[in-house]
Amino acid sequence: MTEPKLLGEVLRERGVSRRAFLMYASCMSSLMALPPSAAAAMAEGLAKARRQSVIWLSFQECTGCIESLTRSFSPSLEDLIFDFISLDYQHALQAASGEAAEDARRHAMRDNKGKYIVVVDGSVPMGDGGVYSTIAGQTNQQMLAETVADAAAVVAVGTCAAFGGLPQAQPNPTGAVPIEQLVAGKPVINIPGCPPLPQAMAGTITQILAFGKLPELDALKRPRAFFGESIHDRCYRRPFYKRGQFAKSFDDEGARKGWCLYELGCKGPVTYNSCATTKWNGGVSFPIQSGHGCIGCSEPGFWDMGGLYRPLASSARPLQRVVPIAAAAGVAVGAGTALLARKRLAGASQQGDKT
Amino acid sequence: MTLLDFARGPALQFAIIVFVFGVLWRLVGVLLLPRIGDRSPPREGAPATWLGAARTVVRRMWPRREFIERTLYPTLNSYVFHVGLALVVFGLAPHIVFIRDWTGLSWPALPSDLVLAIGVVTLVSLVAVLVRRLVHPVLRLLSHAGDYLSWLVTALPVATGLATTMDFGPRYETMLALHVLSIAALLIWFPFGKLMHAFFFVLSRGATGARFSHRGVEV
Amino acid sequence: MDLLSHPGDGTADAADTPLDGAVAAVLREVAAMLQRLARDPAFDDAIDLMSLQLDDDARARLRRRLGRGEVDATLDLGGCTRIRETAYAGAWWVWRDDADERTQFEQIVVARVPALLRTHPEDVAAAARRLAVELDAAPGRTETP
Repeated sequence: MTEPKLLGEVLRERGVSRRAFLMYASCMSSLMALPPSAAAAMAEGLAKARRQSVIWLSFQECTGCIESLTRSFSPSLEDLIFDFISLDYQHALQAASGEAAEDARRHAMRDNKGKYIVVVDGSVPMGDGGVYSTIAGQTNQQMLAETVADAAAVVAVGTCAAFGGLPQAQPNPTGAVPIEQLVAGKPVINIPGCPPLPQAMAGTITQILAFGKLPELDALKRPRAFFGESIHDRCYRRPFYKRGQFAKSFDDEGARKGWCLYELGCKGPVTYNSCATTKWNGGVSFPIQSGHGCIGCSEPGFWDMGGLYRPLASSARPLQRVVPIAAAAGVAVGAGTALLARKRLAGASQQGDKT
Repeated sequence: MTLLDFARGPALQFAIIVFVFGVLWRLVGVLLLPRIGDRSPPREGAPATWLGAARTVVRRMWPRREFIERTLYPTLNSYVFHVGLALVVFGLAPHIVFIRDWTGLSWPALPSDLVLAIGVVTLVSLVAVLVRRLVHPVLRLLSHAGDYLSWLVTALPVATGLATTMDFGPRYETMLALHVLSIAALLIWFPFGKLMHAFFFVLSRGATGARFSHRGVEV
Repeated sequence: MDLLSHPGDGTADAADTPLDGAVAAVLREVAAMLQRLARDPAFDDAIDLMSLQLDDDARARLRRRLGRGEVDATLDLGGCTRIRETAYAGAWWVWRDDADERTQFEQIVVARVPALLRTHPEDVAAAARRLAVELDAAPGRTETP
């Protein structure tokens, strides 16, 4: 089989010039806070790369991640990512179905052995032998193991794949686990978010393709380019936080003035993502700008942080019941000790009377 | 469960339960003790018992003239960190949110930058307190483990709170977890050591004041 | 057109444009980069304005202060990219808005010509090949050199 053409040639045949490559790379570099000088290297890297085979596995997921990646708010350079990769298997987008689809997957795995990237969204249920999610007669665990065996790298997209997400939330009835727990001996990148920013997914794949290596990752294996700073650190409402001006309820005066949403449960200070700078839907807005606190969707266990509307400063567990009980118990024990003391005193004075 | 989830969850819940239970136990245990009543008639012109008690509580807020020279520094330093602690604990917006969470009470907050400055001053003052306790021969003799522990559980929340706000040390969520855990430690130790003076000082000063004002003496 | 006059409207506004911290800092960096370009014609670097998080007012003041030069280019790259020379030769304002007119990309490029304007050698090679083929195929073809 002839070597596949380089991306530069493939896209030129579609009317995409090297100048367009440079524009795409410049936009991506800017987004990822790479120095402007990196754009040229990225463009060259992309043009000299071959179309990257990507097998996208979907397990316990809601399809939000692929929706995020494909929602093209304005058809433009961003769509190039779908030219740079060959999405050889993806439930929502592929034309094939049934056995034909599974054949396509195995075909791509064979043809690109050792070179394809596995993108996974959704967690994997391990409870009861993995029966809670099966595709084509295979449990998710089996399909993952089979597909990852000859992969070059694994990208866990979305909080469910990266950290367990919603399926893993208490009480985790299906025994859901993150992908990383089931992959050994292959590089794993986590791109969390519920869903992740489309730029985070496209940008990371672009970087792998252009530079042939994994981007710089943090302790949770998230690319630092998109997950290096907290929402709080880049939030435009930070001055209100510093001045102590907080909205106390939705639609109160503070809320309408755009004050900080800390007291309404905003998890911005402990959430690492680029929503505050890159924003959503082509830079239109992000939750805080629209008046709702950050829910921490790119962090592990965010569903179990005590509640979307419970502020970080308050207890993650409700105290309204336990405090009165503890108070009553304290009063009872205190009264009890005082009673004992009184009895002792009465006994002693009786003794004294006797002498 | 992350460290922060543990700190804000089971740790804080347990700490608040122990704090509420312990404080009420000790307060009620003391208040319901039999009174050693004074059956003698009050001195002519003696104020009512509660008034005599209250006056002594207030009067002892400042040292007597005879002792001022020797006690001015510890008195002033003590006020600095007590007032500082009060302003930080009750003035910072996230703290008010925390208190509102389990009591339902809330009030307007101070600007966060101001509270930060007060916090720094408070920490310096607390360190000065420890240094004095270690250096002064009498204080060193009198101090035991419980005293140092009381100091530690008071100073740690201030230090960790400052580190969290100033982005000093580990990442924010870890530092915040340590801050919440240090508060849990404070709440758990509070009812069982000298920190209970926060409630008892009123009772002990008041009792002395009541007894002596009955005899017509201002103490 | 009076060729001896200063082009654009930048220098006329220069005196009365207030310079606050962020704008002044960017200008100083542009000045330093222009010095380097003056010494080394191959110099090519940029200041990414998106990463600076300047507010709209500061951005407008910076733009006004830098003014307009002689070149104004539009690039049709699946969307519209604009390149405008500032009143300071060698400093270029490059920006790209998305379909909803939101700024997607904005840089001050300091170079003899911004890389986006320079045609890539591979694009030239492909174009040369294409024209040669088209001329060969066209009736009444002329002698190829």
